[in-house]
Amino acid sequence: MMSWRRLDYKDREEVMENVATHEDWKVCFSQLGPGLVLFARNWVRSTADAEDVVQEAFVKFWRRNHNIDNRALLYATVRSIAIDFIRRDSRRARRESDAVAETEQSIEPKFAMEDESQQALAAAVDGLPGEQREVVVMKIWNELTFSEIGSALGISQNTAASRYRYALGALKKNFVSL
Amino acid sequence: MNDFSELEGQLKKLRPLPPSENLAERIERALAEPTSTMSTAGILPRAARLRINWLSLGVSLAAAAVLLLFARFGVDRPVKKTPTIASGTPSSIVPLASNASEFVPVGLTQVVYHTSDEGLHYATGSEQPVRRLRSHTRETCQWRNPTTGATICVSYPSEEVSLIPVSGQ
Repeated sequence: MMSWRRLDYKDREEVMENVATHEDWKVCFSQLGPGLVLFARNWVRSTADAEDVVQEAFVKFWRRNHNIDNRALLYATVRSIAIDFIRRDSRRARRESDAVAETEQSIEPKFAMEDESQQALAAAVDGLPGEQREVVVMKIWNELTFSEIGSALGISQNTAASRYRYALGALKKNFVSL
Repeated sequence: MNDFSELEGQLKKLRPLPPSENLAERIERALAEPTSTMSTAGILPRAARLRINWLSLGVSLAAAAVLLLFARFGVDRPVKKTPTIASGTPSSIVPLASNASEFVPVGLTQVVYHTSDEGLHYATGSEQPVRRLRSHTRETCQWRNPTTGATICVSYPSEEVSLIPVSGQ
């Protein structure tokens, strides 16, 4: 049984450097798992589906690479499989889409929230346009550089940074008004 | 970007929910499975594809064209400096070693990789012009011992000059 370790963000950079060079998939996955599942939740609405996506992506990635030096490729793999997952089961996607449209509250939470302000912030993140939300998720909770984000999404580094700034601007505006 | 530092700090305080406990076990089982059952989803590096070397293809086609040209004018060639082994068929290749019964010729290839047209010339004592074609080839002969399966392969460059009579019109 694996225990999930929470990252201390003060040491996040150092931890990620260690993870990037570590060859044990369990260590890598224990560090990246929560962020990967959160990233997959950009496309699938349930945690179970997101975990299926992450499982498939991580296995494929690890079989070819045996390390996570190329994090951009790992996230690109998750993204591609998540999109493929939706296409594979269009009825499921439609059902999820309908469910989302009907009641936003029924969506499983993505964060371990401690108070109402965090709930509001999480809701504001959910309300971002998809292309901005995925950049924010990769930057904030996965600690990818804009260069890595650009590689993963197939966009330029400047575009990634621009989307990030737009997203934070919108969040700041919405969050203050809440 | 500094305007957002406070907001970034608040966002980082949000902790993503950890995956379920059995996800790592599922991944471990999946990693233990044979790879052939997995699809690629078009993301991971694919197997190397056969690449066409256009230069080689062009040279080969040119060589084929030159060979056809030789075949057409072959009967008219007044001079032919052709090595014995280059013009022979596999069955006519001289066995390599003294124990000839052990190695039998199995192949002979001649690849023309460069040809040049050196223009019209007048051979000594002749009033009829001839076109001189120079071709560089690589010939490869192969012998095989049917008993042991051992093969011997010899490859060497060669140069051939062809004089093609030209009739004035």
